[in-house]
Amino acid sequence: MNPQLWALAAAGVVVLAAACLERFRAARARRRAVGATAAPAGEPYILYFTGESCTVCRTHQEPALAKLGPVRIDKVDAIEERGLAERFHVYTLPTTVVMSTAGSALHINYGYAPAPKLERQLAEARSLPAGATATA
Amino acid sequence: MDRVGELNPRPHREVVVATTVVDHSALKVNQTGIVATVLVAFIGSAFGRPFLVLLPLLAVVLLVGTFAPQWALFKQLYFRILKPSGIVKPRPVQDRPEPHNFAQGMGGVVVAVASLFVFAPLLTGDFRTSPTLGIGLALSLLVAVLAFVNLAFGYCLGCQIYYRLGRAGLIRA
Repeated sequence: MNPQLWALAAAGVVVLAAACLERFRAARARRRAVGATAAPAGEPYILYFTGESCTVCRTHQEPALAKLGPVRIDKVDAIEERGLAERFHVYTLPTTVVMSTAGSALHINYGYAPAPKLERQLAEARSLPAGATATA
Repeated sequence: MDRVGELNPRPHREVVVATTVVDHSALKVNQTGIVATVLVAFIGSAFGRPFLVLLPLLAVVLLVGTFAPQWALFKQLYFRILKPSGIVKPRPVQDRPEPHNFAQGMGGVVVAVASLFVFAPLLTGDFRTSPTLGIGLALSLLVAVLAFVNLAFGYCLGCQIYYRLGRAGLIRA
């Protein structure tokens, strides 16, 4: 077999395996974390897990969060507040959690979440009756 | 209300921020250089073996640039030509340079190992059928993929490894 094709196939397999592993980890963490609770609030809000090591937080996630309309954003250091981070199974930074008014996690985004996605999730959270909790 | 950048006043909510500024455009130019060099070496190797010399050269550029940033070829290309001429605009971000240097060094080491695999067949004389050529090319492609992921999505695997090693106490991060 041509060494170039062999190399392309090998690199492709590694990348594909890494992508599958990442999807699996995110799905498993999301499954475990959805419904986890934090403080209730009058309006849906966002828990934003970040940390000193997170460059994407500063270059991508914070500009995206700044684009959102009026919404409470609790910025949490995932290293300092390990207990809270573990409750939401935060394994990567940034992680954003859209919380319902009842204080339960409705949507969890592991990795960068663009503003339109967060807006959609917040709109869904606002449309829920007060006290509703996540089902998926 | 707690907006981004206006931290919740409770002290345990404070996030430590880097006090230094890193020009991320220099990093992007560096990543572009890595991707372009590996692609030229990879595609060119199908037509002529001399293109493979680019791999050890890239390893040298990355490793030298890690320990002596003033000799980092792609970054100097940005600082001396692309930035002054306005072709690439600066993008200063509060960040630390050490994780990025570490990531570059890691890339340099992997490309150096890839070069060893690529040029190992020279010892046996059978360049065409040696499996080590494919291994070397695959390793260099992975470096290019990681550089591209950093370039396009801002995710730096080497930086994550740097912080994890620091947290484990293996390096002073």
